[in-house]
Amino acid sequence: MIPSTLRVTLIIAVLCYFIIILYFLKQRALNLKYTLLWLLAGAVMGVLVVIPELLVRIIHIFGIEDNMNGLFIMCIAFMLMILMALTSIASRQNMKIRTLVQEIGILDKRIRELETSIEEQQDKSKTPLQATGYQTCSAVEQRGI
Amino acid sequence: MQSEKKIKVLIIIPAYNESENIEQVIDHLISQAPQYDYLIVNDGSTDSTLNICEKKAYRYINLPINLGIGGAVQAGYVYAAKYNYDIAIQMDGDGQHDIAYLADMLKPLMDGTADVVIGSRFIKKEGFQSSKTRRIGISILSFLIQLTTGRKIIDVTSGYRAVNKRFIGIYAKDYPTDYPEPEAIVTAVMHRGRVMEVPVQMRAREGGKSSITFRKSIYYMIKVTLAILVCRLSYGFRRAKAVPERAERS
Repeated sequence: MIPSTLRVTLIIAVLCYFIIILYFLKQRALNLKYTLLWLLAGAVMGVLVVIPELLVRIIHIFGIEDNMNGLFIMCIAFMLMILMALTSIASRQNMKIRTLVQEIGILDKRIRELETSIEEQQDKSKTPLQATGYQTCSAVEQRGI
Repeated sequence: MQSEKKIKVLIIIPAYNESENIEQVIDHLISQAPQYDYLIVNDGSTDSTLNICEKKAYRYINLPINLGIGGAVQAGYVYAAKYNYDIAIQMDGDGQHDIAYLADMLKPLMDGTADVVIGSRFIKKEGFQSSKTRRIGISILSFLIQLTTGRKIIDVTSGYRAVNKRFIGIYAKDYPTDYPEPEAIVTAVMHRGRVMEVPVQMRAREGGKSSITFRKSIYYMIKVTLAILVCRLSYGFRRAKAVPERAERS
């Protein structure tokens, strides 16, 4: 059985954990989508701290003798899951960034080409206009915007 | 039959810190093959590659972040898909690939006998043949690709390639990262592409450094081996059935 002092410590720890997550969520420093797994882990921890008999039973189903060992194994399993989720999120973002960078590169080329074609047009329209004294014609008007 | 029509060809040249070579390569390309469009993909170079492109008014796209060779080449394919090119050729910006072979590589695509053409330096065994250790590495990867896809490609690491319109679209969506060349072959075969090797000669690099140093070669082999296996697995049991013609090995 888990000693009661340890239970109190664990309950406080779980509460702190939730407060930190909620604080981050409130500050919009965490995206709820990516926090669900953390909240789930917290909920499981909370249930197990309040009803330790459940933990003992689950642990025995898996054939683990020592309760504390069982607790550690569960924690590690959760952390591995979260890490894997994070890696997958990072990979997906990597792909998205790649697409964005490529798109920016292509757009950048298009803008450069547009700029040169506008400049050419300007140069063309400038010469006859200047000759007839229409120097006040603004750049915006010349571009036809 | 298609060759009568005006076919739009884009040559994609990924460039990362190629300031020593790029000018020579592009000027040569412009003078020798003016009928084809080319596109330099400056992959976030930290040297003066971008300045050279700007100063010489080359056709280039500038990636603000270094994506690696895979991402840079893919940017070229995305561009080719966007502007409706019929054929895209990728060649390195370091002068290793000789544009004299462009016509040879284009021919199977124009005739419609292949979807992906790889310029292979080992068919005729002429020109720069790379070091012995590298050749061993390449033959291991070649064997692995044969094992996983059933297609025998000899020069799996060659970055001198030409693809038709269908594969421009496929590569624009799905192109491997890091060391993409061998993996891209698996992608091609898995999409039932007819991959063909055409003999070319390559030169030793004119300047700059190879992206694969000796220290990185072990990592390269492990990474590429795994990538090939994962790539093969991700396509499930969809094995290419169509038997493509092989380039004559004369």
